[in-house]
Amino acid sequence: MLNGGKPEFAPLLYELYKVCMLATNNTDQPWQGGKDPFGVNWVATAEGVIPESGKILFDDIADWKKYVKFPDVDSLGIEQMAQIELADFTDEKRKEQPVAVFNACGLFERMAAFMGFENTLCALIEDPDSCNEFFEAMADYKIACINRYIDVYKPDVIIYFDDFATARGLFMSPKTYREVIKPHHKRIIEAVTSRGVIFNQHTCGKCEDIIEDYVEMGIKIWDAAQVCNDLEGILTKYHGRLIVEGGWDTSGPASYIGAPVEAIIEETKRCAEQYGKKGNFILFPVLMNEKGHAFMTGDERIPALMKTWHEVNKL
Amino acid sequence: MAKIEEVKAMVEAGKAKLVPGLVQEALDEGSAAKEILQAMVDSMGVVGDKFSTGEIFVPEMLMAAKAMAKGVDVLKPLMAGDTSSSLGTCIIGTVAGDLHDIGKNLVSMMIESAGFTVVDLGVDVAHEKWIEAIKENQNVTLVACSGLLTTTMPALKDAVQTVKSSGLTGFKVLVGGAPITQQFADEINADGFAPDAGSAAVKAAELVKSL
Repeated sequence: MLNGGKPEFAPLLYELYKVCMLATNNTDQPWQGGKDPFGVNWVATAEGVIPESGKILFDDIADWKKYVKFPDVDSLGIEQMAQIELADFTDEKRKEQPVAVFNACGLFERMAAFMGFENTLCALIEDPDSCNEFFEAMADYKIACINRYIDVYKPDVIIYFDDFATARGLFMSPKTYREVIKPHHKRIIEAVTSRGVIFNQHTCGKCEDIIEDYVEMGIKIWDAAQVCNDLEGILTKYHGRLIVEGGWDTSGPASYIGAPVEAIIEETKRCAEQYGKKGNFILFPVLMNEKGHAFMTGDERIPALMKTWHEVNKL
Repeated sequence: MAKIEEVKAMVEAGKAKLVPGLVQEALDEGSAAKEILQAMVDSMGVVGDKFSTGEIFVPEMLMAAKAMAKGVDVLKPLMAGDTSSSLGTCIIGTVAGDLHDIGKNLVSMMIESAGFTVVDLGVDVAHEKWIEAIKENQNVTLVACSGLLTTTMPALKDAVQTVKSSGLTGFKVLVGGAPITQQFADEINADGFAPDAGSAAVKAAELVKSL
């Protein structure tokens, strides 16, 4: 499916990739919390890390050059991270399982990490020139890091994170995205795809208004595709051009803490029926428990989900 | 165009730099501070509606809220002690365990724009802090709690139950946040639910008027 072939079954995200996430811990945001290489302090929550609330480095994007010092990519330990993560991953395993490397904190999220969301969103329409200048420099940094990832991990897929949307729609108008962010986003995508690596774009929320832009720029997989979008319509419209990774109703009863196994099985079957059968679909279930994401922290309900998926995911 | 109409238009357009001067000009023209404030509240109602229908997006709404706040700064000294146009005090925060503030901040701005005095408790608010804040502030008419993460939905339920079973009265409880639905709000016995910042301001005013 990743290579454009007709899949025999819809895969489950957690079984599909050899996921590598240590390098972005050093280059972008520490998964366990703490300071990133730009000096932003991240706080760990059950559902991931976020910049410490109320702490910003600056509030006017026109000032970014005073506060943003780009780290030397050679000093970030990307090579060592790759050695650790791929230590037991033989060439034989590579033939069976694609390697996917995370690159967290995309251009928009990075600006928000520096300035907070409110300042960032105002800046996009108040001072697009400074935003453009900032995004251009940040895209250079991201490309330098990603090129190094590609050199040392030799990945099949880069998973790039940038959340542009809420559950009800884009944070900014599609016009603002296209004018201020897209040209730089596009450059990052091209840096990846020009090296023969698949670009996987993570964007939560209702971002369907810019899916056409995603496809046009060469994004092959859309990750964390949530049900607030018309997923069936998107799967039909972009069949063969875009793989939808997601489908789970993350706000529904199957994602509530303590959700009964029956609700999880029902949701698994719904995803298979509604999306899996259309092909070009990867299931990304989100099961939550008190510790956070069940697939990362462990949960006794997972075997039932996987057993069900393997029964219903054939095409 | 009368100055007060210009104030309205510029608040709607989010022209934060122009609004204070126009507010002053409207005052100089003879408009009452209360009248200008109401005009700006009306503008924010229009902005909220446009946001809810998808005509504008978060940045435009933020800019409008910012413009109104600048205008209110000019009016504040003239309205000290005048509570007749206030909808009361709103205590707002994200519930225990939730460190995200984007939605909460936006709702806070919109609720303030609707005519409330906002006391923002910030993020990760412990249950007892809600009670303390209600006791410590005068004329609390609204408690607005957000839970932006699925994992904090139980904490939202606990916060609502704690506030409602405290014996304190005279306010309504509004809830919201990405995973929250009307159904969940009903289940946890909240008085109101809003899916976005624009409708939160409308819902807040509606709830308080029914007190």
